[in-house]
Amino acid sequence: MDNPTGVLSREQKKKIIPYLLIAPVVIYYILFWLLPVVRAISGSFMSAPADEGGVFTFGNYTALFKDPVFYQALFNTAFIVLISVTLEFVLAFGLALLINMKFHGSGMFLFLALIPMSLPAVAVGAMWTSGLSTYGWLNSFLIRIGILNAADKIIFLGGGHFAKMFLIIIVDAWQVIPSVMVILLSGMQALQPEMMEAGYVFGGSRFKVLRKITIPLLKPTITTAMILRIIAAIQIWLIIVMLFGYNRLPVLLEQIVLNVDKYTGSEAFFRKGMALSVVVSLIVSCVSFLYLKVSGAFDEPAGKGV
Amino acid sequence: MGSIRRGVFRSVRKTTLYIVVAGIAMALIFPMFFLFTFSLMSDYESYSEWPKPLLPRIKVEFRLTPIESVDGSYKMEIWNNSEKGFTPFGPEENTRANKSLRKLSNFIRNYSNCFISEKELSEIMDSVDQNGAETFILKKKVFNNYTRFFTLYSGAAQSVLNSLATAAMTVFLSLSIGGLAGYAFARYIFKGKNVLKLSVLFVRMFPPVAIALPMVIILGKIGLYDKPVGLSLIYSVNQVSLSIWITASVFMGIPESLEEASQVFGASKIGAFFRITLPLAVPGLAACAMYSFIYSWNEVINALILTQFNPTFPVVVYRSLLGANAQVHLIAAGSVAQALPAIIFTLFIRKYILQMWGGVKV
Repeated sequence: MDNPTGVLSREQKKKIIPYLLIAPVVIYYILFWLLPVVRAISGSFMSAPADEGGVFTFGNYTALFKDPVFYQALFNTAFIVLISVTLEFVLAFGLALLINMKFHGSGMFLFLALIPMSLPAVAVGAMWTSGLSTYGWLNSFLIRIGILNAADKIIFLGGGHFAKMFLIIIVDAWQVIPSVMVILLSGMQALQPEMMEAGYVFGGSRFKVLRKITIPLLKPTITTAMILRIIAAIQIWLIIVMLFGYNRLPVLLEQIVLNVDKYTGSEAFFRKGMALSVVVSLIVSCVSFLYLKVSGAFDEPAGKGV
Repeated sequence: MGSIRRGVFRSVRKTTLYIVVAGIAMALIFPMFFLFTFSLMSDYESYSEWPKPLLPRIKVEFRLTPIESVDGSYKMEIWNNSEKGFTPFGPEENTRANKSLRKLSNFIRNYSNCFISEKELSEIMDSVDQNGAETFILKKKVFNNYTRFFTLYSGAAQSVLNSLATAAMTVFLSLSIGGLAGYAFARYIFKGKNVLKLSVLFVRMFPPVAIALPMVIILGKIGLYDKPVGLSLIYSVNQVSLSIWITASVFMGIPESLEEASQVFGASKIGAFFRITLPLAVPGLAACAMYSFIYSWNEVINALILTQFNPTFPVVVYRSLLGANAQVHLIAAGSVAQALPAIIFTLFIRKYILQMWGGVKV
């Protein structure tokens, strides 16, 4: 249509509106996500800010990769991620199967199960420091219900390297399992019972129906939640510092905070922390990419909705 | 026979179910409840009782006995629940002198969280003179640790204000620009939508700490380092992507035909949005706001890196725990105060949390 007045036609307007709506987000992301990410990468290759005489260097990375603590942190993080995510899923799945029924008070139970995940990390930290310390509530509780003698105390926090890691895994499981369970439960309840019944009709055992029908149907829910769990587990650090202090059980994020918050004012440590943050981002990005690939986000047509 | 067996099987199954549910519920509640109990403990309970009390106490028992050898002086004792007996408490000798009475009253307040005036103390001494040793019960000021936390750890009160300001700005920022994009996602098909969708998802999963470090420098340059505004700009990166996701699904749930209908009756497009769509979207948008609030209120690592003299509340609790004079019952009070808003908001938005986590389609 000819439009001599220069005013946009209805059609053109309709095409522009969505771009006007997304413009703030795009600008915001460029300024506060893309720019910092680029700066983090470039900054990790500099000895100091460019206007303070910094020069290009691989020094931050060589310092990081020469540091034996980095490899410990890498190993510990990988170990915690692997064991905790597996354990949490097996247990959460088992519990969800066990209580896959509508029951009295299920609404209340659901709310209760979501609380640990929404608790502030520092509150969870304070809860377990006051619980697991030698004179904490866990020992008090064990004495009061008669499992321990008043003279005996279990020294929870004094274990070796792997004992410490398992303690962290258990504490993390306390926070995570209930939510994962509730999510699997709601996934199970959304399945049509006819499908499982059909399995039984054709002579399938309980286990076989579970393996061949229930789990495949739940697979999308399981992969989504599992990959999000992996991403979260890579970033565990606060509870470790609150229970043991810095450098007792090094993990990746704790090392970043250590370099930046603990050794404040040191440019070398700050840059090393930056290099480490780039490494962590790279790892998380790989997992995210995998997630996007598995969930089929790449090959969805651009329809309405998210 | 078969039906009986089935009935037995069913009731066994049902009992197992309830045992498992009760077990999980207890495993969830106990740690939180014990943290709460700790937050109500007095210094005396915290340092001198073992095993520690696991139920909150609201009353404390004291005993005042005359000291035979010294006329006009008294010994104060407190009931120790773990030793099942009275143990000495406060100065060894208390007299009716003003200074001594004040000292005793202060001691009782500081170490047992009970309040008793000097006058009341001297009255008890009067009756001890007549009748011999006397036990009396004082009501504990239960939430005393909460006020003590905020007076003892300097900056704690200010940090709550900082946290609130940061959270308010995060909510505003993420809801406004996220909401606009969410509406676009829900109502329009446009070029580049898929790329944007993927980047939104990617940003949502990106580790927040990675942008915190360069932000120290960037915010420093524009003068926003160590300020709630600067912090909310970082928090919103994560929250905008979540808001887009939530608001898009909220707007998708409101039929476009409603807007079109009101346009037929002469409303403009914008008028239709504000009169029809927005009011219907309010519950979903409120949930979105609460979600952003919880995130901002709980966040630690970025606040730790990006603040110095104006920390947020969780940072104060964190530092007080790692500090040299960590008093676990006071920190428990701080943590409970910190956790409360998050728990309350979770109650409101549990439905959305489930969708967000278990949503097959993100």
